[in-house]
Amino acid sequence: MEVSHSVKERTIAENSLVILLQGLHGHVTTVDLRDESTATGRVTNVDAFMNVRLAGVTFTDRQGTVSRLDELFVTGRNVRYVHIPDEVDIRATIERQLQAIHRVRYFGGRDKGRKEFPRTKHK
Amino acid sequence: GGAMSFLKRFPPPAEGVRHQQPDTEAVLAGRTLGTGTLYIAESRLSWLENSGVGFSLDYPTISLHAVSRDLNAYPWEHLYVMVNAKFKEEETKEAPMAEGEEEDSDDDVEPIAEFRFVPSDKSALEAMFSAMCECQALHPDPDDEDSDDDYEGEEYDVEAHELEQGDIPTFYTYEEGLSHLTAEGQATLERLEGMLAQSVSSQYNMAGVRTEDSIREFEDGMEVDVAPVVAGQFEDAEVDH
Repeated sequence: MEVSHSVKERTIAENSLVILLQGLHGHVTTVDLRDESTATGRVTNVDAFMNVRLAGVTFTDRQGTVSRLDELFVTGRNVRYVHIPDEVDIRATIERQLQAIHRVRYFGGRDKGRKEFPRTKHK
Repeated sequence: GGAMSFLKRFPPPAEGVRHQQPDTEAVLAGRTLGTGTLYIAESRLSWLENSGVGFSLDYPTISLHAVSRDLNAYPWEHLYVMVNAKFKEEETKEAPMAEGEEEDSDDDVEPIAEFRFVPSDKSALEAMFSAMCECQALHPDPDDEDSDDDYEGEEYDVEAHELEQGDIPTFYTYEEGLSHLTAEGQATLERLEGMLAQSVSSQYNMAGVRTEDSIREFEDGMEVDVAPVVAGQFEDAEVDH
């Protein structure tokens, strides 16, 4: 998955397991929502705030009613679980995403690849 | 029927409008509110009926949005928006409820309101959806403990700061870049990578993503548990000395 152009988002992703979800791009995944509904579809984007965008979705609402949604965007706050598909190698996925971030950080992307925020020390 | 009490008159948003869609019906919980224009603006989502009354939704209250073309679920293709709030659809004569009480739902169940925006131009649904995604991303959850305030101060150009050269205008691919670095540049790069790795590993070992390679490379003398846990490591109580 293409790495975010935002410095802050890259840094957040690098330091949380959202980076794993970002590596699920293209995979069919089930997302359990906070209100007990579920959405199964192909991941087209996950940002640093865990907002998830899915395509070709089978959506089961909290009453159990099933419908199809062409595209769905769920806010990170409302995601309870993201099921990692069996075929995904978790460690390889995380490493690949980290490498993508480091490439952008050191050798630039389409925009300022080398600006970073100074971190507060000894939190 | 009675007027929807939450509808108000207000001017359409003037700034940050990523998409506007005229001739769009708004439906709340299956009841139509009329036809008007949907404004997908950076600050909020607004819909104004042609008569000039309408409502706005704040992005933090929107749980999800979707494009629905499933005519079995709903007879018209539309943009579905689920909101974490209750909307009074009609004037009611109930006594005011105590704060926090819901009429007839469990305490655990959050209120949701389902809006559908049905544009007469179905082909606009993709653009409407994307505009909403963009605007939603501008409003990350402030309660999220992960979106922390570790990133303070002005951003600065890491390499320029180290090399004291100001903005370097050229970008290289990984291979090109390495070959263009002088010996000093390569040393700086290594130092920067090391600094970054140290700050990452010392502050965020909760992320738990430590491969064996990274353990070797980023050994920094700090007291971090580097031993990968092996399942069943301690099952065998008898250890040969």
